[in-house]
Amino acid sequence: MTETMGDHVVAIAQDLFSAMVDGEPGHLAEGPGHPSPLSEPVRAWVDIRGERPLRTLVATGRDTADRITRALLDLEPREDVATADVRDALGEIANVIGGNVKGLLPEHPALSLPVVVFGGSAPDGVPLWTRSLQWHDEALVVSMWDVPVNQEEYL
Amino acid sequence: MRALVIDDSRAMRRIVSRQLEGLGFTVDEAGDGAQALELLEAGAGHHLACVDWNMPVMDGLAFVKAVRARPEWRDVTLMMVTTESEHDQIVRALAAGAHEYLIKPFTPDALRGKLELLGLVPAGEIA
Repeated sequence: MTETMGDHVVAIAQDLFSAMVDGEPGHLAEGPGHPSPLSEPVRAWVDIRGERPLRTLVATGRDTADRITRALLDLEPREDVATADVRDALGEIANVIGGNVKGLLPEHPALSLPVVVFGGSAPDGVPLWTRSLQWHDEALVVSMWDVPVNQEEYL
Repeated sequence: MRALVIDDSRAMRRIVSRQLEGLGFTVDEAGDGAQALELLEAGAGHHLACVDWNMPVMDGLAFVKAVRARPEWRDVTLMMVTTESEHDQIVRALAAGAHEYLIKPFTPDALRGKLELLGLVPAGEIA
């Protein structure tokens, strides 16, 4: 699992945000090499089943997660968003990215449903690579993980 | 024209529904295949169902098979709208009875293009 895969995933994320979040390209860009700590992090992931289970994880701060949710649901800029809608929106972002990653991998026949967690730390696992992005100048991190055996409940 | 959008994500349902409404469809939404079957049973006369693959309760492939098992629903056009992009999965869906396949993420023009191919919207110039 290499940086080349990371490049593919960044391209998938950019396609996703262009087509379905912003309606135009150019608002999701490569960020600084090392991601800054996220304020009130929201983490969404899907697991890709196979001989070597993998996890595609998207993380951002709560304010940015709210903005992404408003964009997906076509809400007004300052409209309140329900936690359930943030969970749904970030889960779908992870699902689309993870599903396309699955398509790049041989021998990975199935995708889990999304898991979304507010606050706390990242789930257990071994990070394979991390790409720090910026959406409208706000931090958004995409990463891929080896899934440990004790995380099988998510599979 | 009446469409049914089936996806466990409310956000994705809204995106697809907005685009279909912009093309003149009246849209109903369901969060999984079982809910969608209930809506079809209600007999609203859907012409099109846009179907996600990975959903709880009843997934999209099971929904397609269930619809195709009912002769009275043979005129419902089924289009998978999913992240499942592998060739084998596309073949499975088409073999089960889906008419078209749209991979997420997609643009409004891509959706319209598929609907034009299906003859559900008039062919026009795509921006």
